[in-house]
Amino acid sequence: MKSPLARLDGIERRFGSVQALDGAGLEIRAGEVHGVLGANGAGKSTLLNVLGGMLQPDSGSIEIGGAPVRLASPRDAWAHGIALVHQHFTLVPRLAALENLALGGGRRPGLRSEVERLTERTGLGVPLDAPVEELGVGDRQRIEILKALLRRPRVLVLDEPTAVLTPDEIEGLFDLLRELASEGVGVVLVAHKLDEVLGVADRVTVLREGRTVLTAPAAEVEPDRLVRAMVGEERADAIALGISDGDAYDAVLPRPAAPRSPRETRTEPRDEVVARLRGVGHAGRLHDVDLELRRGEIVGVAGVEGNGQRELALVLSGRVEPEVGSAELPAGIGYVPQDRSTEGLVAPFDLAENVALALHRAPDFGRGPWLDWNALRERAEAIRGRFEIAAPSTRSRAGELSGGNQQRLVVGREITVARDLLVAENPSRGLDVAAAAFVHDELRRLAAEGVAVALVSTDLDEVLGLSDRVTVLARGRLHEVGPDERSREGVGARMLGGRRG
Amino acid sequence: MRGCSGGAVADRGDGVADSRGGGSDSRDGGSKPEGGVAGGLRVRRFESVLIALGALVLTAAAGAILLALGGHHPGEAAAAMVRGAFGSRATFLSITLVRSIPLILAGLAVALAFRAGVWNIGAEGQLYAGAAAAAWIGLTGAALPALVLVPAVLLGSLAAGAIWAIVPAFMRVRLGVGEVITTILMNFVGIHLAAWLVHGPLQESRGVFPQTDPIAEAARLPRLVPGSRLHLGFALALVVAAGLAVVLRRSRFGFRLRAVGESPEAALIAGRIDAGRVLVVCFLLSGAIAGLAGGVEISGLTFALYEDLSPGWGYTAIAVALLAGLDPLGVVVAGILFGALQAGAGAMQRDAGVPAAWVGVVEALVILAVLALDRLRRVRRRGGV
Repeated sequence: MKSPLARLDGIERRFGSVQALDGAGLEIRAGEVHGVLGANGAGKSTLLNVLGGMLQPDSGSIEIGGAPVRLASPRDAWAHGIALVHQHFTLVPRLAALENLALGGGRRPGLRSEVERLTERTGLGVPLDAPVEELGVGDRQRIEILKALLRRPRVLVLDEPTAVLTPDEIEGLFDLLRELASEGVGVVLVAHKLDEVLGVADRVTVLREGRTVLTAPAAEVEPDRLVRAMVGEERADAIALGISDGDAYDAVLPRPAAPRSPRETRTEPRDEVVARLRGVGHAGRLHDVDLELRRGEIVGVAGVEGNGQRELALVLSGRVEPEVGSAELPAGIGYVPQDRSTEGLVAPFDLAENVALALHRAPDFGRGPWLDWNALRERAEAIRGRFEIAAPSTRSRAGELSGGNQQRLVVGREITVARDLLVAENPSRGLDVAAAAFVHDELRRLAAEGVAVALVSTDLDEVLGLSDRVTVLARGRLHEVGPDERSREGVGARMLGGRRG
Repeated sequence: MRGCSGGAVADRGDGVADSRGGGSDSRDGGSKPEGGVAGGLRVRRFESVLIALGALVLTAAAGAILLALGGHHPGEAAAAMVRGAFGSRATFLSITLVRSIPLILAGLAVALAFRAGVWNIGAEGQLYAGAAAAAWIGLTGAALPALVLVPAVLLGSLAAGAIWAIVPAFMRVRLGVGEVITTILMNFVGIHLAAWLVHGPLQESRGVFPQTDPIAEAARLPRLVPGSRLHLGFALALVVAAGLAVVLRRSRFGFRLRAVGESPEAALIAGRIDAGRVLVVCFLLSGAIAGLAGGVEISGLTFALYEDLSPGWGYTAIAVALLAGLDPLGVVVAGILFGALQAGAGAMQRDAGVPAAWVGVVEALVILAVLALDRLRRVRRRGGV
């Protein structure tokens, strides 16, 4: 057995109130392709950024070649032979491809011929003299990879490199990675698509909620086990399939009203369709989506982030007109956007003004061209009380609230305007367990009152635990999930590869 | 002079563009309904007043140092300036307040635009457009009675100022071209258009000076205080300020404007506000008010259009608006203050031998001090939370 090239152990890293890494580890050996898997927010990118010297861990150890090191900057990481290919491009748009490669620290005589030899060997051809701003994402990704290879790394880390490459290019890239590994390089590969990773990796590591939950040789691990490791089992087991009606949440926070499970509310289905999408396509990220939402039902939309969720939510909430197809929408729509602090709230506005964002057109809250601030303040006060927003008064600025309280404000406000339909995008992301359970209860209560709820979420447990009907959004297309497929494995497989579980 | 002010424009334009968020936080004071329990409102008002006072102290200190470096006596200069601005009832009414009228109106135009996130640096050009329209209507409508002609002159200047804002508004909203550059460029068009008019089609019948004939008596604003030069334009400026304050605080449109200015993303997503429409209205309104500043100057004071009518009011208005924390009522105070500064500059030059151009330096220092203090407060707030 070869000694590890690099080893990360017990890494912890916190961003504000979010524990992004909570004891994550990763061991990279010479000559292997190591796949890193995990759901969104599991901490993959954070861990790789620690390895690349972009982030300092709060605690934990990093060893390179058996010796403990401190990676204070990307420069330190390069010095130890670690090259990171980023998920987000780090190229200068105005400069030519070759100039960008020179910027990457590869500035030396004969760079052009060196690059040409490298592209020939790797098949990663790019127009070297074209400005990067004129190149497509595929070319940009290739430039990033070339930039990393020019450093002759001992550890090459690629964070989701395949998303923008064609299948042929992916195959070429994987051949290259295998070849590099055979030359003794340790290759770390992050990808969302399970089958891709399994096709090329020698070993895999799975992260969940900031912890390393599994490391195993790829050949010895069942895809099914990987999916379960990624999406979690403990809490989810009871809730998935609606077996326990989501009562697991009651242990965390008692429900304010009489507890009503989604099953019970559906004993008398209200069949009126309140929103209907027909053949909707938008911004090249949503294709031919048909969807009907009925009163009193919660429809879950699962999927890996970036598969058209945002576009679907914007169309469904009436924020944008679809470019293709038609959207019939009701009048009373609430929308909880994913990015609550920039899109859901105006930070310098106080609570009442933020409530007014949703109510500034309502006839009850003004006369003619004037707003009735007393009524708005009363409404804000009611929301503050009912949703237990920890703010001294409705004159507190939204920007001074914690993330959880901001979310309560947004959810509280949107629920008051969602008379017919509520579109909620990752409504519990970043919330602690109690706050998440509270939001979930509110969604259930709303549905029980006859409002249609579209729950767009990358959190599979959330979707399975709350939804009456489950759909999956993959590559901009919406698939209905039948009752027989309604499990973490079935939905997870559809999310990852669009194939049947 | 022209070239010199052009340079100043570019500098100020950049400063403002960089401050995008910069002016935005201090404005909340004006946005809350009155009354209520919490101290939040008062604290915020207090903060923006504190910033203004701090900026004035810093400016006075820096200005005094510059005077001393120039070999002048700061105390003497200050005394001369105060005498020139507040020395007597007559100087205060006829010089300081009269000077403040275009500064208040143009300052309101700038403050309104900045509140919506529209960086209108074009008040100068809009002011010239309004002045030209006022002069033309005042000359050609001589046969009309004052009750018709005065409103016509004022409405004409409003319309001309708004028209001057159309091109930048269109380019921003439809083409995504930043308005800082376009509004500045429209300034030169406006300034030179006025120059061409007084050299050509509208030149006085004697044909000697580059100015128009005096406008009809019926086109002139009445005096506000008999025996002084203070005209109705001052009352008009106060009415516009009060109107804007109420609109921003109480009206649906004012709320939308503030939302778009604070966060276009949240305005669209959470507020379903059509930012483009709000911005266009805001551009036009801002241009109209700046145009009114020019119209009032013609109809209330000079009674004729001439070259160099404005000593850069449209630019000074930026300092006025920022010092006021973009609050309409604060603009009145800041406008009077800058009026006093300009009024005092003449006395300072006469009595203490300090070039009046020093006032231009002071205006720039005020902008710098306000931006720096506002940024400092925001950094501290962020650190404290």
